Amino acid sequence: MGTIIKDYSYTPAKIKHGYSGKSLYINLSDLRIEQKEITEFMKEKFTGGKGFDLWYLWHAVTPETRWDSPENEIVMSVGPLGGITQYAGTGKTLLCSISPLTDIPIDSNVGGYFGPLLKFSGWDAFELQGKSDREILIFIDGNNGRIQIEEAGEYPEDSHLLAEALTKKFAEDEDDMVNVSVVCSGSGAKHSYMGMLNFSFYDPRRKVCRFKQAARGGLGTIMHDKKVKALVVKYRGVKPNLNDPADIATINKVGVKYHKEMHDLDQKQNKMRQIGTANTVMIMSQYDLLPTRNFQTGGDPETVKISPQVFINEWLTQGLHDGCWYGCTMACAKCADHFLITTGPYAGQRVTVDGPEYECAAGLGANLGVFDPQAILEENFYCDTYGIDLISFATCTAFIMECHQRGQITKEQMGGLDLRFGNSHAVLELLHQMSRGEGFGRIAGLGVRNLKRVFVEKFGADPKLLQDIGMEVKGLEYAEYAHKESLAQQGGFAMATKGPQHDEAWLIFMDMVNKQIPTFEDKANALYYFPMFRTWFGLVGLCKLPWNDIVPTDNHKTDSPAKVPEHVQNYVDLFNAVTGKNIDKEELIVQSERVYQFQRVFSVRMGKGERKDDYAPYRSMGPVTREEYLSRQELYDKQLREFQKLDPETMDLDEKIAATRRYREDQYEQLLDAVYRRRGWTENGIPTPERLKAIGMDLPELLEVIEPKL
Amino acid sequence: MIKVNTEDYPWHAGMTVRALLDEKLFTFRHIIVRVNGEFVPEEDYVSTMIQDGDDVMVLHLMAGG
Amino acid sequence: MKVLTHKQELCTGCLECELACSRTYFKTDDRNYSAIRIIENNRTFHARKCTQCGECIDMCTANAIYRDRNGVVRIDKKKCVGCLGCVGFCTELVMFYADDLEVPFKCIACDICSKACPEGALEILVSRVKEN
Repeated sequence: MGTIIKDYSYTPAKIKHGYSGKSLYINLSDLRIEQKEITEFMKEKFTGGKGFDLWYLWHAVTPETRWDSPENEIVMSVGPLGGITQYAGTGKTLLCSISPLTDIPIDSNVGGYFGPLLKFSGWDAFELQGKSDREILIFIDGNNGRIQIEEAGEYPEDSHLLAEALTKKFAEDEDDMVNVSVVCSGSGAKHSYMGMLNFSFYDPRRKVCRFKQAARGGLGTIMHDKKVKALVVKYRGVKPNLNDPADIATINKVGVKYHKEMHDLDQKQNKMRQIGTANTVMIMSQYDLLPTRNFQTGGDPETVKISPQVFINEWLTQGLHDGCWYGCTMACAKCADHFLITTGPYAGQRVTVDGPEYECAAGLGANLGVFDPQAILEENFYCDTYGIDLISFATCTAFIMECHQRGQITKEQMGGLDLRFGNSHAVLELLHQMSRGEGFGRIAGLGVRNLKRVFVEKFGADPKLLQDIGMEVKGLEYAEYAHKESLAQQGGFAMATKGPQHDEAWLIFMDMVNKQIPTFEDKANALYYFPMFRTWFGLVGLCKLPWNDIVPTDNHKTDSPAKVPEHVQNYVDLFNAVTGKNIDKEELIVQSERVYQFQRVFSVRMGKGERKDDYAPYRSMGPVTREEYLSRQELYDKQLREFQKLDPETMDLDEKIAATRRYREDQYEQLLDAVYRRRGWTENGIPTPERLKAIGMDLPELLEVIEPKL
Repeated sequence: MIKVNTEDYPWHAGMTVRALLDEKLFTFRHIIVRVNGEFVPEEDYVSTMIQDGDDVMVLHLMAGG
Repeated sequence: MKVLTHKQELCTGCLECELACSRTYFKTDDRNYSAIRIIENNRTFHARKCTQCGECIDMCTANAIYRDRNGVVRIDKKKCVGCLGCVGFCTELVMFYADDLEVPFKCIACDICSKACPEGALEILVSRVKEN
C-alpha cells in the first residue's frame, strides 16, 4: 500500500439532462483539488467533451507552453450523451493536451469505462495540471464522494499488470471489478514522445482487464512527465437513466431500433461483431490503399496472410461480448485470448491481446512488411502494455526501415538493429529498447519529424528524400491509409487540425472510386461537412463507428447515402432527448464548427495553424521513387496524357516523375484554396472574424490571436 | 463504351453487373449499383445485362475509416 | 429445462394470462407490462413468450443474463444496465421493456399465467435436456 498524501471529500453533483455542471481540477505540484462550475456559456459555445477540454486548456497555457511545462494540462471530458447505455458507442472520453510531437493541442478519443464512471461520480470534466515530485495515483470514489492521492512507486509499470493490480485493489469482490476503471500508460511512454494512455474496462467473462487507447499525440508521455502513474475511478450502480435524460422514451426507442439493425445487418455488412475494424484489411489492399513498406505501395499479394479470415479463424475469440462500454452492440473490441508471448520481459507468458484493430494490422503488419499474424499480435501486445501509440510507432518504424533500405542509415547507426522490412524480431527488439530507454529505441521514440533532423545532422542523410518519405504533418505520424490517388483525402489528412489522421474525414471511396466529388468545390464541400459532422462525436461523448459501419437497408434510397441520414437523425434525437434542447441536423454542424474553428485558432496561437503547416509529404500525394512510378506506370502515363496533354513516350522516367509531381502539387495548392474559402479562412488558413461572428465565436480572446495574422 | 462512375469503360457483349464488378476488382461488399439511374439489387447482379452506352454507378458506401 | 408452451387451438384470446402476468410482477392491468403477449391473426391466437433459447446470454453487454438451475433464462437486475441490446437482438421479439423500468423483463416460466388460463391453453413443460 502506498502512503495516502491527500484525502479530499466532495458531494457528487447530481446530473441534470446530461451535465453534472461540475468539473474537477487537480494541481499536482501543490496537491490542490478544486471544483469548477460548468457555465451556461461553456455549454452553449463548446457543448462538452473536446469542447470543454480545449476551453480549459486554452486558459491553462500560453503560446510558450510546451508539453513538459508544468502549466500544460491533460484535460478529459465525456460529453452530455456519454454514459447513456441504450445506444451503441456511448462511452467515449475525449482528452486534450499540448503534444510533445506537435507543440499544439492534440485531441484523442477513447472507449473504456473511465469517462462515463467519472461523470457519474459527478464530474463533467477533469483537469490535471502541474507536476508531482513523486510517482502517484489518483483514486476517485464516485459513490462516497472521495478523492485520494497515493504514492505509487511500488506498483508495476506496464499497463496489463498495473491495471489488474489496481482493479483488484479497489474492487471489493469479483462482481465489483466492472465498477473500477484505470487510466495508465507503460514503460515505453517514459522514453518516447509517442506514449499513450490505456483506459481499462473489466471483462467479467474473460476475467481480465481490457483496454482501449487514447493513443495519439503523446498523452502517455505527458502523464508520465507529471509523474502520474494511474487514475482510478470507481462507481457502482450504472443504470440507463443516470444522465437524467429529458425524454427517456425516445432514447429507448432509437436504441432498440439501432440494436435491431445491428442484429439483422452486421453479418451482411461489415462483420464488426466478428472482426471489428480489421475487417477492411483485404479490401484496402485490393483497392491499393493499404500502406505497405512505408506507404510505398498500396497493397501486397501477401496481405492474404493477415486477412480478416485468418484472424477470425485462428486467433480471435468469438461469441463473447466485446463492447468497450455498456450497450455497444457493435462490440468491435476484439481480442486474442491465451496468446503466448515469445520475446521480451513477458516471454513464455500467456496474455490477452486487445486487437488487432485495422490500424494495427495495417501499420504493424503491411506497413512494416510483416505479413505474420502472430508477430502482429505480439507487437500489438507490447505497444499496448508499454503504453506506446502503435500508429505513431508503426509509421515511424516504417520510415526508419525505408531510410535503411535506401542507404540513408546503416545497421550500425541503428545500434546493430537490422530494421529491414519484414523483420518483426527487430521491430519487437526496438519496442523492448523503447521500454528500457536504451539504444536506438530511445532515438526512434522521438517521432518522424525529429528523426528526419537527427538522420540528416548525425548520419548525413539526404534531407529532401527524408522530407518526401517521412510520413508526418505538423509533427504527428500518419494514420494507416495510402491515398496517392485521392486528392480530397490528401487534404483530409494534411489539413486535419491536430495532425494527419482520419477522424476528420475519410473520403477515399467517394473521391477515388465513386468519383462523386470531382471538382475542387465538391471536394471542399466534403472537407467542410465531414470534419464538422465528425467533430460532433467528440463533443457529446460518442463513438464514430456506429454511425456508418452499419447502415439501414434503405440507406441507398436517400439523397446522400454517404452521410447515412437516418443515423444522423438518431443523433439529433438522442441529443435532444438527453439535454431537452431542440437542435436539428444543421444546428448540429454549427455546434461542431464552433469547436472546430476554436481549435484551429488555438493552433494558430501555438504557432502552427497556417497554410505552411497544411502541406503533406509527397509520398502521400504521388510516386517519390522510380519503383513507385513503375509500380503503376500505366496509370501515371495515362494521367500524363489526359491531365497534362503530355506524351509519356517522349519522356524519360525522371521527367515523367517530375511532371507528375508538378501537376499534383499544383492540384494540392488549388485544393487548399478551395477548402480555405469553404471553411471561411484566409488564403493563409486563418479563420476570419466574419466567419467566427457567423457562428457566434467572435470571442475577444480569439480575435486577438487572429487579427495580427489577417 | 459504357460509363462506370463517370469514366469511360470498354463494353463487351454479354456483360452482366456481376462480370463488370469482377473486372473492375470491385470486391468491397457494401456497394450500391445503379444502371442508368435504376437501382439493381444484389440478387440481380448475375442476371442484369449491361448494354452498350449504359451509365453505371457503383457507389462504395464507406466514409468511415 | 422449463419452458412455457401455448396450445393455439385452445386459446380464445381472453388475455387473462397477460393480466395475471402484469398484475403479479408490476401491479398493473396494462398489457405492456406482461411477459406474454397474445397476438390475434385471422381469428387464431398466437402467444409471444420466451422460448428460453438463451441467445441473449452471450450478447448481453453487462453479463447480466444467465440460465438458472431450472434452465430458465433470467436477468440479474442488479447487474443489468438497461441497454436494451437484448430487446433488439431477440429473434422471437419476447424481451420486453417499458420506459419507466430500469431493466427489461421476460417470461421466467413461473406458471402464474397457465394457472390463470380458463381454457388450459398454457402449460409449463419440463424437459430433462440440460442446456449449457
